[in-house]
Amino acid sequence: MRMLRQAMILLSREVESLFFSPITYGVLTLGLIFNGLSFYISLNDSGGNVGMAVRTFFGGSMLFWVVMVFLPPIFTMRLFAEERRSGTLEMLLTAPVAELEVVLSKFLAGLLFTLSLWLPSLLYVAIVKSYGAIPDLGSLFTSYLGVTLLASVFTAAGLFASSLTSNQLMAAALATVFNLLLYVIPALSLFTENEVVERFFTELWIYRHFYDSFAKGLLDGGHVAFYVVLTSVFLFWTMRVLESQRWR
Amino acid sequence: MISVRNLTKRFGEFVAVDRVEFEVEAGEVMGFLGPNGAGKTTTLRILTGYLPATSGTVLVNGKDVLRESLQVRRLLGYLPEQVPLYLDMRVEEYLRFRGLLKGIPRKEIQRRVGEAVESCGLVPMTRRIVGQLSKGYRQRVGLADALVSRPKILILDEPTGGLDPHQRKEVLELIKQLAEQHTILLSSHVLAEVETISDRVMIIQQGKLLTIGRPHELADQLQEAPRIQLEVRCDETRAETVIRGTLGEQLEAIEFETVSDEWIRVRLQTGGDEDFRAPINEAFVKEGLGVRELIRQAFTLEELFLRITAQSAQEAVR
Repeated sequence: MRMLRQAMILLSREVESLFFSPITYGVLTLGLIFNGLSFYISLNDSGGNVGMAVRTFFGGSMLFWVVMVFLPPIFTMRLFAEERRSGTLEMLLTAPVAELEVVLSKFLAGLLFTLSLWLPSLLYVAIVKSYGAIPDLGSLFTSYLGVTLLASVFTAAGLFASSLTSNQLMAAALATVFNLLLYVIPALSLFTENEVVERFFTELWIYRHFYDSFAKGLLDGGHVAFYVVLTSVFLFWTMRVLESQRWR
Repeated sequence: MISVRNLTKRFGEFVAVDRVEFEVEAGEVMGFLGPNGAGKTTTLRILTGYLPATSGTVLVNGKDVLRESLQVRRLLGYLPEQVPLYLDMRVEEYLRFRGLLKGIPRKEIQRRVGEAVESCGLVPMTRRIVGQLSKGYRQRVGLADALVSRPKILILDEPTGGLDPHQRKEVLELIKQLAEQHTILLSSHVLAEVETISDRVMIIQQGKLLTIGRPHELADQLQEAPRIQLEVRCDETRAETVIRGTLGEQLEAIEFETVSDEWIRVRLQTGGDEDFRAPINEAFVKEGLGVRELIRQAFTLEELFLRITAQSAQEAVR
């Protein structure tokens, strides 16, 4: 109970400070533009097939990945880097709060804002509906679930990057590199003949786990687990960095 | 309340804290003195659980700072040297946040923040943004933060650092008041400040604890033989002959200063506790030389502090 309470206090502080940051609104605007374009393109290409349009919008279009890969790092960059730079990390880590609470609350704050990039897309559903086309609710639900899981991975990666440095720009750059690596790693499979290695890289492909499953309206425990594990790994590393910082 | 045993902290090859041992009793105000870079901040950071020790143990209220870190942190109010604060928050908002974080129940938070604000003289500043406050007020916000949860122990790292003399005085007054309800460990590199408010003082230099004790005991303990200062009417050679004739081997150091055409001032240092004023006076009178001042001076604690820290710095260089 105590832990939950403290996590909530930390979370509201993080959300507040992101909410009052002008950069946040720049990122949200960019997200709005990209997603709007993406929606327009998806509709145009689908030739009136709403199911098809939903699939293109969620993961099929390049712009979806631009929003996913490049924007979260800007939300997450300051989360630890700024505390480290200003020295407030010392205040935070000497308060009676566990590292886990600190990491989780910062992660959730970042995730909330990353998800808010996708909030306006709910309007698109309403627009499509108003023209009489009914999108499949099941696949819509799994798509948004997929977006949430995907955003978790990229937010956690960004948080980890932020914990490594005291420079926000460095944190953002690092997070972008992590995210790009996660996205392009399967390309490595092109360079190998070995089937096992190829399989390994394909399995790690964050795109495949999304496009083959959630975007199709399929809910598969394996794919869900893939994202959850990946997110946990990054959060775990972040905690280790915080702990190791005590050893320096 | 705080028990430090054989505490050592290395950063690579550099030994920041070297086998330090001390105890702070409940209700006591302990002054932690040393020149900059002596290892004060490192020691305090270990006490708060922010840094781990390389070896040795630190118990706070019987609990290990690393293994029972959370319980220890609940007992502590800590003011770090640079007073890092969230600059974008308002004073009251910041203290509320910190208070809740430290586990003050929501229904009490208003009152507790009010008390902290009151006792730190921040009442007119509650609505101000922390980033716009002067260094002195930020220091007070840091102090208010340290004591908002009414911790048993306050650890204050250079609480008067970077303040003007007036602000220093106010902060020291405040600490003096707080001493009635808290165990306090405060660091400083200015002895005069700590001397007046501390029950005991310890001095650290190059990571090593040089001495620990009550301020006046410390002066006795560190006291070297007092100096003698006199003004006589003669030249330097003559004065030295007379003094050497009287003291012989006991004379350890002597220096001269011209006061006027006729008078010179002599400062000398003898070994042992014996008071040589009378023999010296007699010797000069016998020679028919005028003596118009003869004083025996003890070192002030400040001078002693400067001397021992300078000495051990020289030893370290050698």
